[in-house]
Amino acid sequence: MAQSMTPVEDAMRVKLSEAFNPSTLEVYNDSHKHAHHKAMQGSTSRETHFRVVITSEAFKSKMQPARHRMVYALLKDEMAREGGIHALQLKTRTPEEEERQKQREEAESVNA
Amino acid sequence: MASLREIPTEADFASTITSLPPATVAVIYFHAPWAAPCKQMSTVLSTLASTYPSSAPLAFLSLNAEELPEISEQYDVTAVPYIVLQKDGSVLETVSGSDAAKVRAAVEKYAGAGSAGEASNLGLPPAQSVTKPAAPTTHLETGATNGTNGTKNLASYAPSNNDPKTAPEYSSGAKETKEELFARLAELVKAAPVMLFMKGTPSAPQCGFSRQTSSLLREKGVRYGFFNILADDDVRQGLKEYADWPTFPQLWVGGELVGGLDIVKEEFENDPDFLAEYTVSKQRNTGGPAAPQAQAQTA
Repeated sequence: MAQSMTPVEDAMRVKLSEAFNPSTLEVYNDSHKHAHHKAMQGSTSRETHFRVVITSEAFKSKMQPARHRMVYALLKDEMAREGGIHALQLKTRTPEEEERQKQREEAESVNA
Repeated sequence: MASLREIPTEADFASTITSLPPATVAVIYFHAPWAAPCKQMSTVLSTLASTYPSSAPLAFLSLNAEELPEISEQYDVTAVPYIVLQKDGSVLETVSGSDAAKVRAAVEKYAGAGSAGEASNLGLPPAQSVTKPAAPTTHLETGATNGTNGTKNLASYAPSNNDPKTAPEYSSGAKETKEELFARLAELVKAAPVMLFMKGTPSAPQCGFSRQTSSLLREKGVRYGFFNILADDDVRQGLKEYADWPTFPQLWVGGELVGGLDIVKEEFENDPDFLAEYTVSKQRNTGGPAAPQAQAQTA
């Protein structure tokens, strides 16, 4: 059986899905954009920098820092580990916020 | 030998500047007493000053940026430490942040080797511009040495990567306990109304996300203090725990964590008044020389 080439990403998806039951979950691996940076010298991992877009009811009535902390807590081990996740960009929305943003974007593109 | 003079009031600043002999290079240093990198820079500057004779056409002036807000605004100071090199009323160069080598290079550019250059430009010997006779040879020995020689004198005052603490007063010798560290952090996050804990400095960011955050704040004209977490590993690791936040940059407002780049960007997008009360333009009641975007708002 073939081993996954993206164990970190897989773990992220599983954890985030189970914890937040998200209506939207996008995980982008931006590691290649930072591979040449000084901080990454000596690193062999290809899964160091991620960008996550996640929509879930679980974020309702929580401020952004609190939402991000929920995600950080979930991925604590992956982030603390040597050679684990070095950077994590997050976009955390509730379904209502996602809808509002979509409408705003559509309105803007119509007016443009 | 020359020394770093503290200028306490705006009136003092005005009279000091006007009383400077023409062609004097004024090294104006904006600082805030609570900012750890400023203590380092103060040491660097007074040491640098002492390497020049008193007769040098140089004035090292130290200004508390928060107590002299009009002057800070006049020079568009949004982060400290900030150094302005000025001659005959016009700004030659500015150095933002706590890079000692950069400051020394800037001063030497205009005051070290500069003295010979001035003579040829103006056709006047340096002696004419000061009350005491200038000593060009002394300039060349101390101030105008090439980078490699000059570095020996002052590089020891710049924080090296091995130095454990940025602020001398905190290195008590014994290892800090966690309580002490957390107490220090509690003060540090309140050090300025808006505090950015970043990798590197606004003028020399060491990380793309830190760079974006500091330039976003600069773009919005926000007045903020910054702390380079790469220069202090205790703060770097301690703050992650204290804030319950694993990444940098971190923006703190009023002693509360707002978040990292993502959150700061979103706040600016969603809320046009985000941090508006901390911008340069809002600090004054009357209009005045301010950042271009502020001028556009008040026009």
